[in-house]
Amino acid sequence: MNIYKSAVKNPITTILTFCAVAIFGIFSLQRLPIDLFPHIDTTYIMVITAYPGASAVDIEENVSKPLENSLNAVDNLKHIMSKSKENISVVTCQFQYGTDVEVATANIRDKLDMVLNNLPDEVNKPIIFKFGTDDIPIILMSVHAQESWSGLYKILDDKVATPLARVDGVGTVSIQGVPERQIQVYCDPYKMEAYGITIEGIAQIIASENRQVPAGTIDIGNNTYSLRVDQEFQEGKEILDVVIGTRNGANIYVRDVATVSDTQQERIQESFSNGERSGLIVIQKQTGANSVDIAKKVEKEMNKIRPTLPSDIRIKTFVNTSDTIVDTANSLVDTILMTFIVVMLVVMLMLGRWRATIIIVLTIPISMLSSLIYLLIAGDSINIISMSAISISIGMVVDNAIVVLENITSHVDRGERLKQASVFATKEVGLSIIASTLTTIAVFYPLTLITGMAGVLFKPMGWMVTTTLTVSMAAALTFTPVLATLIMKQNPKKSRFQKYVDAALDWLTEVYARGLNWSIHHRRLFLVCAFGLFFVVVMGLGPRVKSEFFPTQDNARIGIIVKLPVGTRQEITKELALRISNDLRRDYPEIETINVTEGVPDSDNSWASIQDNGTYMMNFNLALSKKTERKRGMIELCELIRADLRKYTEIRTFEVRESGQRGGAGGGSAVDVELYGYDLETTDRVAQQIKQMMLSIDGCNEVNLSRDEYTPEYQFVFDREKLAQNGLNVASVAMLLRNRVNGAVASYYREDGEEYDILVRYERRFRESQEDIENITAYNSEGKAVKLRDLGKVVERHTPPAIERKDRSRYIKITGSVGKGYALSDIIGATAAGINAMELPYGVSWKFGGTYEDQQDTFRDIILLMCLMIILVYVIMASQFESLAYPFVIMFSLPFALVGVIFGLLLTGTPLGVMALLGILMLVGIVVNNGIVLVDYTRLVVARGEKLMDAVVIGGRSRLRPILMTTLTTVIGMVPMATSDGIGSEMWKSLGMSVAWGLSFSTLVTLFLIPVLFTSLALRRQRRREKKAQRLSE
Amino acid sequence: MKGIFISCNQALLDEVMTAMKEIGVRGYTSWEEVQGCGLEGEPHTGEAAWPTLNSALLVFTDDEKAVKLMEELKIIDQRSPKLGIRGFKWDVEGTF
Repeated sequence: MNIYKSAVKNPITTILTFCAVAIFGIFSLQRLPIDLFPHIDTTYIMVITAYPGASAVDIEENVSKPLENSLNAVDNLKHIMSKSKENISVVTCQFQYGTDVEVATANIRDKLDMVLNNLPDEVNKPIIFKFGTDDIPIILMSVHAQESWSGLYKILDDKVATPLARVDGVGTVSIQGVPERQIQVYCDPYKMEAYGITIEGIAQIIASENRQVPAGTIDIGNNTYSLRVDQEFQEGKEILDVVIGTRNGANIYVRDVATVSDTQQERIQESFSNGERSGLIVIQKQTGANSVDIAKKVEKEMNKIRPTLPSDIRIKTFVNTSDTIVDTANSLVDTILMTFIVVMLVVMLMLGRWRATIIIVLTIPISMLSSLIYLLIAGDSINIISMSAISISIGMVVDNAIVVLENITSHVDRGERLKQASVFATKEVGLSIIASTLTTIAVFYPLTLITGMAGVLFKPMGWMVTTTLTVSMAAALTFTPVLATLIMKQNPKKSRFQKYVDAALDWLTEVYARGLNWSIHHRRLFLVCAFGLFFVVVMGLGPRVKSEFFPTQDNARIGIIVKLPVGTRQEITKELALRISNDLRRDYPEIETINVTEGVPDSDNSWASIQDNGTYMMNFNLALSKKTERKRGMIELCELIRADLRKYTEIRTFEVRESGQRGGAGGGSAVDVELYGYDLETTDRVAQQIKQMMLSIDGCNEVNLSRDEYTPEYQFVFDREKLAQNGLNVASVAMLLRNRVNGAVASYYREDGEEYDILVRYERRFRESQEDIENITAYNSEGKAVKLRDLGKVVERHTPPAIERKDRSRYIKITGSVGKGYALSDIIGATAAGINAMELPYGVSWKFGGTYEDQQDTFRDIILLMCLMIILVYVIMASQFESLAYPFVIMFSLPFALVGVIFGLLLTGTPLGVMALLGILMLVGIVVNNGIVLVDYTRLVVARGEKLMDAVVIGGRSRLRPILMTTLTTVIGMVPMATSDGIGSEMWKSLGMSVAWGLSFSTLVTLFLIPVLFTSLALRRQRRREKKAQRLSE
Repeated sequence: MKGIFISCNQALLDEVMTAMKEIGVRGYTSWEEVQGCGLEGEPHTGEAAWPTLNSALLVFTDDEKAVKLMEELKIIDQRSPKLGIRGFKWDVEGTF
């Protein structure tokens, strides 16, 4: 007994089996995590090493270089970058796509252990971070407070940042713009000098006055008491009454030489939300962790944290990446539902029978849900790729069911009983269904074999479509015949609607048959026209198609970095930051929240210290309203903001980042030119030239250099001889200078279990000029006062900026933006031409990096894959036809699919990106199906004894309807994808478009071209046979 | 005693069997899948060109039932002429 028969004989088993699949699918759906992409994140691991007191060049030579040399041998490493700046070295390892973060981290730790001994002694132990500096934060929260403002840092650090950092997958939580409370003891140098007191003396006395010491136990009578001294300050003011010495028998108090204020750090990072002073909590995720998952956990944790905070603290999440991801998933769900309805309508229209439509359409949810089971088992997520796979397959899974049902109907029409018809009709087409499914699977299965970024992206797609098609095949062979016996009628009456449909299709068939008849009798003319068209389009229009990597996704986020001239005072930066913030808010109603941070964070904030910052820099984070709720797109807004920023004359450079990030999937497109060369001055000069050249390119409105300008600074140069004469040394005077300007931490002030620094330093007005510094008094070994100006002098110098290296050579990255209406390829082409026209000095080389490098790698992989697929499809067809020539004929559908895609991309002005290329890849498997059906049936008609020319027309006439139906379901199934305008639609638009255009154009051509080529081939064979026969008879 | 050879479209086998049961014909030998081609109509070869298949029965029964069966077969044929069914009847000379 065969499978078809047993399925029809046991309808309950069959139906319940598929119900079980559906139920498991629904179960999986609820458990699947949601993400934007499969684990596409570049695996970055940062190694941060502090070497206090070392300059950028020292750090490069003694820390970064040895680390690079040792880490270079880690497995799967793609690039190694380093940034050496004063005090700190950041080495970033970029791994191949798909590398396991945990394994990579362990490998890095091993290598670090080996190299640690070779580093200078003062170097701190390196810290490993599992993300890159380019990764954008996933959550930004603004913090507002009134009464708690002064102690806010401690509160946030203990109660918010620490618990949140424990959440699984969170890379780091950093608090910005919230000052730490500090008790400042501001001293007057003149008064101190008069009393002969020093900063160090005051600090020491304060430290010894602020003590709590247990003194043991004493026995009094029958009891034992513990004895303690508790003389800690109860409030800041108490410090004023501390005696710091005596003079002429009178006590000198702190209040005689200093003022005490319970306030905040002087140098702080300030943050403003919508113009209002606020704090900023930045949450960064670990490479590879799931944003939506983290956001959920963070939200849950925050709900627990909120009640424990003082009531005046308000924490508001204003940027949450997971919102965009969930919105994107939702808009894809809409697209899928739309596709489902559209496909259903097409089937209904073409068949004209609602019972048949239901049977066919039922295979869609079953196959879809089965692919979700795969996702759950594979540990993947619901994301753009997996959902696109579902959307793509909707139009394809119905094909098998349509073929089965068509055959059942024709058997019933011949007079068979439904039950028999279901079994025999299914059996008849069973093999050909398996074969055609195999050709499609042949295209999608190799997707699971590629590596690199393309592999990460397309592996799930390959598996999902393979699963879906296999299940749809099984459903078509068992579920569909069962449903047919249960639902269909034995002798259906034709409805009026169906008659209209039939009449229309008959007319179309007639037109097609006439056209086909004409073309097979004018083969040469037809072929010349067809191939002429192909060459004109591919050669003429092809090069005009622009290319990109991934489209920029409108995720309603813009990041802006503004730099004023190096060394600009923080007050000026702040004033401008607020002005820009207010102006932007006024001019762009699309902005929901605008946050700006300026200033320098505290030096013990390790996350903040690795980022670029300075008193002259400001960082904006803009949260826009949702894409669907505004008219202007993100890229357009960025362009407008760039134009606006150019009007502020104070600004030295600025960088506006679409999506808040550059590169990767969904980030803003950018052209990265990497300029390599050892000499800092030469590369600086060349980089400036390239920058000017790029700025002159249309569509490139913003160019930034990764190397900043030299920072001006004052250096105090001591005269060693003079120091020696006074019994001093560099270390002691340097410390003295630091204590007066930066301050000396004397002790800690305790309140409610929290500790705050007590800092003793000069009052601000005594350290505001070069003279003030030179007038600082030191005491020599004889106790005599000496002015610093007598020991050395202050000179103004420029220190080199951070030194960046990539793959162990110094480099500068020049990043150019890609404006609205322009694609990556436009800027790349113009830039390459521009640089090639320049004469680069000896020792300087360049190449494109970043997005372009990823694009090239991925495109290369995909094109290689395409060749593999074409061979595989050919092999399958050849074995199906047991012929080498017929598959070759069918292959001619492929170039015309390309023509369709080129047309589509050019007409809509869409650049060719990875997603569009994926569409082309899929076309390889889809477009040949029509050819197979045509050639197969025509050969069948010939075998039935018709004459060749007649057979071709009969074959075409009879296959037109099924071809149109399967093509239309796929093409129209893509239309919702190609035209959707929801959040995240930029991503899949080009995919839908290339499949829809390619398939419709190739089908149109295939319907005529394949029969024409088939006729020519068959005629030649016929003639050859006749000649042979003639020869034999002679 | 008559012998009848029935060759019919696979889809009709069940109907023939039902008819035999109703008439009370017991003895038969059947082949579920055979290839064949009639004097007219489409061939049933199970190949790509002619995908349908035939079934065949060899029935032996008494004269009266044989006549009835032949009539039934004719009715089936008229109901669905496109499917194809033919019966061939002859005298059986001997059996044991």
